[in-house]
Amino acid sequence: MSQFLNLLAAGLTSGAIYGIFGACLAVWFRVCNVLNLAVGDFAMLGAIGTAVLVQQDHFPFLAGIAVDLLAVGAVAWVFDRVVLHLAFDRRSGGHGIVSVFFYTFGLSLVLEGLARAIFGTDVHAAPAIWNGPALTIADFHVQRAGVLVIAVAVVSGLVLWAYLHFTVSGRAASACGESVVGSRIVGINNALFRRWIFVGTAVLAALFGIVESPLTGFTFQSGPTISLIGVIAAGFAAFRRPGRAVVVGLGLGVAEAMLGGYVSTGYNDVLLYAIVFAIIILQPEVLGLSAAEA
Amino acid sequence: MESAADQGQVHAGPPALAVERVSVSYGQFLAVESASFSVAAGESVAVIGPNGHGKSSMVTAIAGLVRRGGAVRVFGSVLPSGDPRAAVRAGLVLVPERRHLYPALTTRDNIMLGSYAHTRRIWARQAWDEVAGVVDMFPELTRLLDRKAGTLSGGEQQMVALARGMAAKPKILLLDEPCLGLAEAVTRRVYDWLGAMAGTDVTIVLVEENPVHALRVCHRAVRMYKGLLETAEPAGAQQAAVGRGGDPPIPPAVTAEPA
Repeated sequence: MSQFLNLLAAGLTSGAIYGIFGACLAVWFRVCNVLNLAVGDFAMLGAIGTAVLVQQDHFPFLAGIAVDLLAVGAVAWVFDRVVLHLAFDRRSGGHGIVSVFFYTFGLSLVLEGLARAIFGTDVHAAPAIWNGPALTIADFHVQRAGVLVIAVAVVSGLVLWAYLHFTVSGRAASACGESVVGSRIVGINNALFRRWIFVGTAVLAALFGIVESPLTGFTFQSGPTISLIGVIAAGFAAFRRPGRAVVVGLGLGVAEAMLGGYVSTGYNDVLLYAIVFAIIILQPEVLGLSAAEA
Repeated sequence: MESAADQGQVHAGPPALAVERVSVSYGQFLAVESASFSVAAGESVAVIGPNGHGKSSMVTAIAGLVRRGGAVRVFGSVLPSGDPRAAVRAGLVLVPERRHLYPALTTRDNIMLGSYAHTRRIWARQAWDEVAGVVDMFPELTRLLDRKAGTLSGGEQQMVALARGMAAKPKILLLDEPCLGLAEAVTRRVYDWLGAMAGTDVTIVLVEENPVHALRVCHRAVRMYKGLLETAEPAGAQQAAVGRGGDPPIPPAVTAEPA
């Protein structure tokens, strides 16, 4: 029983990481049909930036977090104002796969290069927000950072789900991705939604990087791996449902942990691909592959 | 039979919509060249002409969806170019060609978002309560409110688009080919509704390739041909000609202000 509970805790922790980045991708894709492949790099900037500000530049912890998040938000805002504005508002960019992937992929490469130049190649971890030994109940152990990771993911997923489903602003954000013309004619400012949800998810990813980094550590190269994890979780949520992305992420993490604990860790990737194939065959609409979801 | 247009209330005073030397170009291609016309408050005007001659470009430019040259005034106030929000807030609402609904959102959300420019509500349910009355115009939609718009038939989608337009509380309603591709029965249903609207204070500009349909509900027509706007004659003369049988006539380039 204790092995099961410990595997569950480990699975929920890694699953929360899948889920939150999936949610960040999904909510922005829902607004503008573009994948943010730089989301992992924003998490990397959050973790490494805070670590350097606090540990090397001796900023107070909360001030370091605030400065770092402001800097990440500023980078995202400038990218939107310069690149995305020209590409989408001025219609001077490409369409199809170019707009879906390559603008943010380019940003990811730039951020990776800048991080290497500024922070070097060392592994960095921001100080733990909730210090102390692992929480223990009988034989069940869970790290405090893990509890925070799960809590931030669940709360963020719930907030995004509620925003999109119950508020006028959330429905308007969804409308932006459904029809650009249809949203503009009722007075919705697509560019504003695109910009602030891009900035908001960048800051959320950075915050999550700060919370997560005591568990995993970050290097300048951590971003693309995290973005790929997010793409997988978002894919399971039809790329448009941040609440579902968190739930799916948690489920994937638990399934991986159980398989690794009871069978072999070598089967983790096999499990992910097997689930994807099973869903494609049995329930394609879950991945947004059916006509009704198109 | 008295046409709906005959019942309309056309008010004296400054025009509801004044279009002054409006031009629209896409790169080197000039789609609309120096179009000018005005519509009085409560009047219904049809913009007719063959496909591809600039009708839709002109109304989308008036609604701010594309940039334009020239000026558009709504009740005397100039609308900025390329700013659809300003147009909606001024009371000028477009029901676009091919509807442009939000297919993955419900019928209820599609209609509710019509009020986006006006509502001060945070919660979608409260915003819906404020506009739910527009469904009375299309009782067919009542049972479809929780269906995704993408699963509706073309006729049902057109009614959703019209209801969304009405949720914006329009003073001027621009309708771009509202019956394009719809079955005859649905077309009649839409034009019956338009006829009723023409008898209200709402000013209507109707883009329609088919002058027979358009002149059932409009006071007069203007014609777009090769990007140039020609002026109009009263609907009565057109309808009389249509009633004599044969192909519907294209309005000649003569000027007539509403009676």
